[in-house]
Amino acid sequence: MAQITFITPSGEEVTVTAQSGSVMQAAVTNMVEGIDGDCGGVCSCATCHVHVDPAWLDKVGAAGDIEKEMLELEDGSSDHSRLSCQIEVSDELDGLVLRVVKN
Amino acid sequence: MAENTFDAFQKARREEGALDLKVGDETIPLILRFHDVRKAAKNWQTYSSDAPFRVPVPSQEDLRSVRQLPIEVDPPQHKEYRAIVEPFFRRPTDPAYIAKIEALIDQHLDEAIARDSLDVANEFALPLQSKSLTLLLGVPIDHADLFISWGNDVLRVDPASASEELCDAYIEKQLDNAAENPGDDMFSALNAAQYQGRHLTREEKIGFANLVFAGGRDTIINFVTHTLAYLAQNRDAFERLRDEPDLVTSATEEFVRVFSPLTFLGRVCPHGAEIHGHKIAPNDRAGLCWLSANMDETVFKEPEQVKLDRRPNPHVAFGSGTHNCLGAPQARLIMRTLLTKLPQRVSELRILDSVASFEDWKVYRRQNGYKRLDMVFKGH
Repeated sequence: MAQITFITPSGEEVTVTAQSGSVMQAAVTNMVEGIDGDCGGVCSCATCHVHVDPAWLDKVGAAGDIEKEMLELEDGSSDHSRLSCQIEVSDELDGLVLRVVKN
Repeated sequence: MAENTFDAFQKARREEGALDLKVGDETIPLILRFHDVRKAAKNWQTYSSDAPFRVPVPSQEDLRSVRQLPIEVDPPQHKEYRAIVEPFFRRPTDPAYIAKIEALIDQHLDEAIARDSLDVANEFALPLQSKSLTLLLGVPIDHADLFISWGNDVLRVDPASASEELCDAYIEKQLDNAAENPGDDMFSALNAAQYQGRHLTREEKIGFANLVFAGGRDTIINFVTHTLAYLAQNRDAFERLRDEPDLVTSATEEFVRVFSPLTFLGRVCPHGAEIHGHKIAPNDRAGLCWLSANMDETVFKEPEQVKLDRRPNPHVAFGSGTHNCLGAPQARLIMRTLLTKLPQRVSELRILDSVASFEDWKVYRRQNGYKRLDMVFKGH
């Protein structure tokens, strides 16, 4: 189980509790603004783009090759970017802070 | 299923990366590789959509008189135009809307099961698409009878077809009706909308509505028909969806990848361009080939294989970048609901007879769907 905090494009902080699945699913279930997850988590739509808080980069890990290619062409992309559908919820991520990137 | 059934561009993609399409006097290089297609879709300065009638191929000067919106415009104007209709196209993510689509698909499955057989193209996919569209537009569901009466060739490139005029007449009438009695429908929203501090012109409103009919009709019909034929021909896939209903989401994305209902779209190069040695003169066109990108073996392992659990699956069947398909939530909802309900309701799908439809441009030929698909839906 993990508590994950999303900072939305309008500046609101939303903390959700997730047991399993992807971080995108946890965000969609809790209707976090700016995370649409249109493709359901197959890395096709890039509507779940987040910036990982620098303190959490190591634990969250780097994007895979395909995810990196997706992010390269996304607006607002940075070294901290991930697609949250590709981050699995785990106990290790308890306390994670993510900034939602506006579509 | 034979290998490469879906991949009409394999040789040209591997060897050259582009393929010259001849359309009348025009030569349109199709961009074939995944990375090239995505980069071109992002690079609107070079590959522009600010070109009325010229985003579709062949171009549609003879078919319509208005610029389709928001597809035939570039950033930054595109963003404000798109925002006007975006809320309507996001409706398929609303639980109440989802319930309506579920009920609609149940009704169509009831009928399909009750009958000995039916033509899935004209008696299942077409009415399902038409009724779903009334929900999206927010108009009475009986308007679907009119959409269905236009036949399955509405807005195809056939100057002899009268359906374009019928569609335009419908749009005009709905805009007038909405002006007199505003409601919760898309036409009322277009009448009320503001763009750069002014109301939309009549042409702009028609341009929005025209795209809704043009973009969401054959694409969804072909997607549904192709997928049902595949499930009838591949019983193991059908059984797997029954045993593993969680696969519905990834299966939906995989079917849209392999069937890529829209093969490619055009872009105009105002300053000219060059793609793998294929030159595009200023103001000529290139094509972004979604189907070929979706078959790129450097991105998709065994691309011609349908893998219901394919992840990641970064397909571009709904386009890529700023112009990505507005109707994608509707298409996804219809397919996800169908793939959920079908194995629950139907024990066997069988094809009795079919007439495939093809796109044939000489340099490539692909099956894009079925003109007729007679099938048996055997209930549990």
